[in-house]
Amino acid sequence: MRRSVNVEVGASLNLVGALLKYLSLAFLFPIPLAIGYSERWWPYAAAGAVTLLAGWGLEKATHGKERVGIREGFLVVALTWLLGSVAIALSYILSGEDQLSRPVDALFEAMSGMTTTGSSVVSDVSTLDRSLSMWRQFTQWFGGMGIIVLALAVLPRLRVGGRQLMESEAPGPELEALTASIRDTARRLWLLYVALTGLLILILASFGWTGVDARMGLFNATAYAFSAMPTGGFGIDARSVEPYAPASQWVLALFMTIAGANFALLYRAFVRRKPVALVRDEEFRLYIGVLVLASAVLAAILWDAGISAGEEAIRQGAFQTVSIMTTTGFASTDFNTWVIAAPAAAMLIVALMFPGGSAGSTAGSIKIVRHLVIGRVLRRELDQAMHPEYVAPVRVNRIAIDERTVRAVIAFVLLYVGIFVVGAVLLLLDAHRVDLELSPFDALAASATTLGNVGPAFGVAGPMGSFEPFSDVSIGIMTGLMWIGRLEIVPVVALLTRAYWRA
Amino acid sequence: MKIVVLGAGQVGATIVEALHEDHEVTVIDLDAARLQAMSYRYDVRAVKGNGATRRVLQDAGIDRAALMIACTSRDEINLVAAMLAKNLSDAQTIVRTSNPEYLEAWRERQIEVDFMVSSELETAHAVSGTIGVPAAKQTDVFADGQVQIVEFDVPPGGSTPGASTDAYDEVIGLPLKEARVPADSKVACIIRADRMLVPRGDGSILPGDRIIVIGSPDAAREWGRIMARGDRLLDDVVVFGAGATGLAIARVLLDQRIRVRLVESNEDRAREVAEELPEARVYCATGIDVDFLERERIGQAHAAVFAMREDSKNLYAAMLAKVHGIGFTIGIVHEPVSVGVFERAGIDVAVNPRSVTAEEIVRFAHDPRLRQLAMLEGDRFEILDLTVRETSKLVRTPFKSLPMTGSLIGAIVRDGAAIFPHGEDQLEPGDRAIIFTESRRVAEVEKAL
Repeated sequence: MRRSVNVEVGASLNLVGALLKYLSLAFLFPIPLAIGYSERWWPYAAAGAVTLLAGWGLEKATHGKERVGIREGFLVVALTWLLGSVAIALSYILSGEDQLSRPVDALFEAMSGMTTTGSSVVSDVSTLDRSLSMWRQFTQWFGGMGIIVLALAVLPRLRVGGRQLMESEAPGPELEALTASIRDTARRLWLLYVALTGLLILILASFGWTGVDARMGLFNATAYAFSAMPTGGFGIDARSVEPYAPASQWVLALFMTIAGANFALLYRAFVRRKPVALVRDEEFRLYIGVLVLASAVLAAILWDAGISAGEEAIRQGAFQTVSIMTTTGFASTDFNTWVIAAPAAAMLIVALMFPGGSAGSTAGSIKIVRHLVIGRVLRRELDQAMHPEYVAPVRVNRIAIDERTVRAVIAFVLLYVGIFVVGAVLLLLDAHRVDLELSPFDALAASATTLGNVGPAFGVAGPMGSFEPFSDVSIGIMTGLMWIGRLEIVPVVALLTRAYWRA
Repeated sequence: MKIVVLGAGQVGATIVEALHEDHEVTVIDLDAARLQAMSYRYDVRAVKGNGATRRVLQDAGIDRAALMIACTSRDEINLVAAMLAKNLSDAQTIVRTSNPEYLEAWRERQIEVDFMVSSELETAHAVSGTIGVPAAKQTDVFADGQVQIVEFDVPPGGSTPGASTDAYDEVIGLPLKEARVPADSKVACIIRADRMLVPRGDGSILPGDRIIVIGSPDAAREWGRIMARGDRLLDDVVVFGAGATGLAIARVLLDQRIRVRLVESNEDRAREVAEELPEARVYCATGIDVDFLERERIGQAHAAVFAMREDSKNLYAAMLAKVHGIGFTIGIVHEPVSVGVFERAGIDVAVNPRSVTAEEIVRFAHDPRLRQLAMLEGDRFEILDLTVRETSKLVRTPFKSLPMTGSLIGAIVRDGAAIFPHGEDQLEPGDRAIIFTESRRVAEVEKAL
């Protein structure tokens, strides 16, 4: 007996096709750059054309099936991200760049960019073509705010069911609508994102023009803005942002902090001019609180261990904390060396891969608001241990959260931790299989950094290293972890359950 | 005076009893038997029918009535009847409601009714009063809450055991210029024996007065403390039953910084109340669960209020609480006869929501001008919120040399901050002045500023 599948696969593919079709427009971005720098432009055109054709073909093949419900939403989001990465990987393979010529590596690099992870298999970034380098940065930028959110803002067709699609993609347990229309909300968020990116480019470039930072030209400023705003982490220099002036590093830290805050909240605070909203928001307060505290602790450890002192210690502490916690992954110094010199600092870096940014930001990982909810649930549990009849809702921002959502948050964190551990174990086993030198600490860091979309890990995959030494199997595992982590687990993992496919 | 009363239930009956001797009363109700009982007992006219229809109201002679009291147990019927009455006649209207949202909308003048009474809120105020803390009836808020106008019933002197009465004794009964009135506040009006007095330096506040105070939120709280006759010891109250009445009681007590524990047996309702009142601790339990009483040390609470739906349950739970050591018990009763039963059984106070409501309505019916908002809105006093003009003659005159006109500048708002002026302060152009004045002087005051 054939078991009937109750998911409208056709309709889902139809929508995925449409999204891919529009995604192919992104490939137009590097072409003028390539021509300008007299580099090869046809790989982008070819990859774009293939994407366009594939999207168009999918759409045609499934013509007439257009009803997308809650179930289909998961499939659409998961597939769009996967196929989008495949499309970008294609451009890497065609580019003729040796370091990205193998499909497994190219897909890893593409997924890492789209999910704003920033882990790389490229050993020496500085040797990449300039257009390829910028294209790599650009993939982070449009992945950062979410391609579904972008599609919602721009395309007319997604309007129906858009809210649910966006919720499957947008980070955080609850989407905060700024306006009654989800399309309008998506548009405003994107505008804010574009404006902030533009501002960052301007500030960094002006450092270059005024001589504050000799390395920082318009090209570099744009490249780092395309990486900082989506909390990505790809760089264009072999040693990440280490060679740049302290002023540039401070500005990047500030913008990473902004990028890790809830964009809807930022919109209310800055566009609608209600800065009090920031202070009133419990998640934002905790976010800033954790950042400040961790920065201070890290700076103190570095100073105490004699690694750096004065402004430098404070800058390293703050920059590295912000970079890891917002899941960006820039490095202002090679923190791989801390494993020996200051183990507590290395431990802190790995720990900071778990808080994440705020919900509704471009940051990944668990997200501050979930920690807030879990903290309050634990406090209530302790209270109820003494007072079994005590009744109290869990509140965030003074609003009671229903118990279903609370359960979903707990389930999410458990899943997250579970997948993190399984990922680490698999990486360790695989490393042992191919005789790669990987300590358990390195394996844990690599699993946490890819699942949390952070970027750098420790050991070979340290901030100045690359993921190149890993075996193909490990690269595949980590590609999967990035994919699962970016979509906040449920849309991908639900596809593996029987309940998803059956009536 | 001709009065139309809508609703012949407990509240209606109490009102009719108080009013029928001096006024010409017509009662409307759907229930013929209740009407008959009422007309046999009192000299009133009875009209059977739905009071929220024009025909019935006209039958009852609404066009010649001076007052319409809508006191059925159904809010919407009362409101519709009042709306119709406003259009069909010049009668003043009183509406009974159990919905705090309606009350709030009325206070903000969005529901056109002359007076609105909430059984739940009146009950809560009565309970709060018996616990020893007279509830401040907040009448108005200005300048984003920086200026409050608050009304108090001054309690009689003499201390509750263990409480210090210094603060009370230093204000009440002394000439105002010698009294230690809280900083940043002024007494705007004293109502004594149904007459309104403009406070002067040599006048004084006496027990039994009703006073209106203008001041900062802190000062308003300080006044509350004075009215509580010193530092109160009662600050841990358990409320059993979180229905509408229990909720209102909890809210009023919480507003006075009293710690409140709410006990509700229905799980969904407990959750709902916990969402609504984050400051209260809510338990899902029954009042007769001995383990629960033990575990939560309910016996050590200072007072307990029993606001469950059934009188018998309230009585039993109150007795049980007494056994567990609670010193002070207040029972909410629903049947008039229960008041006596509760008191005989040793429950310290029994409050009947319906009779409290009826009393409040009767008080308004006797003299509409004497009620809080009604009075401020009425024909004798008004609160003005004016901006001082550059050309005003009073600009830059010290307050102590301003002419005495029976108006009082309670507060001025300058650069977004409230100032409670003293003798040396001066008015500046652009100040927002909050003025308590007699209605006939409004034009005069507006011209002067």
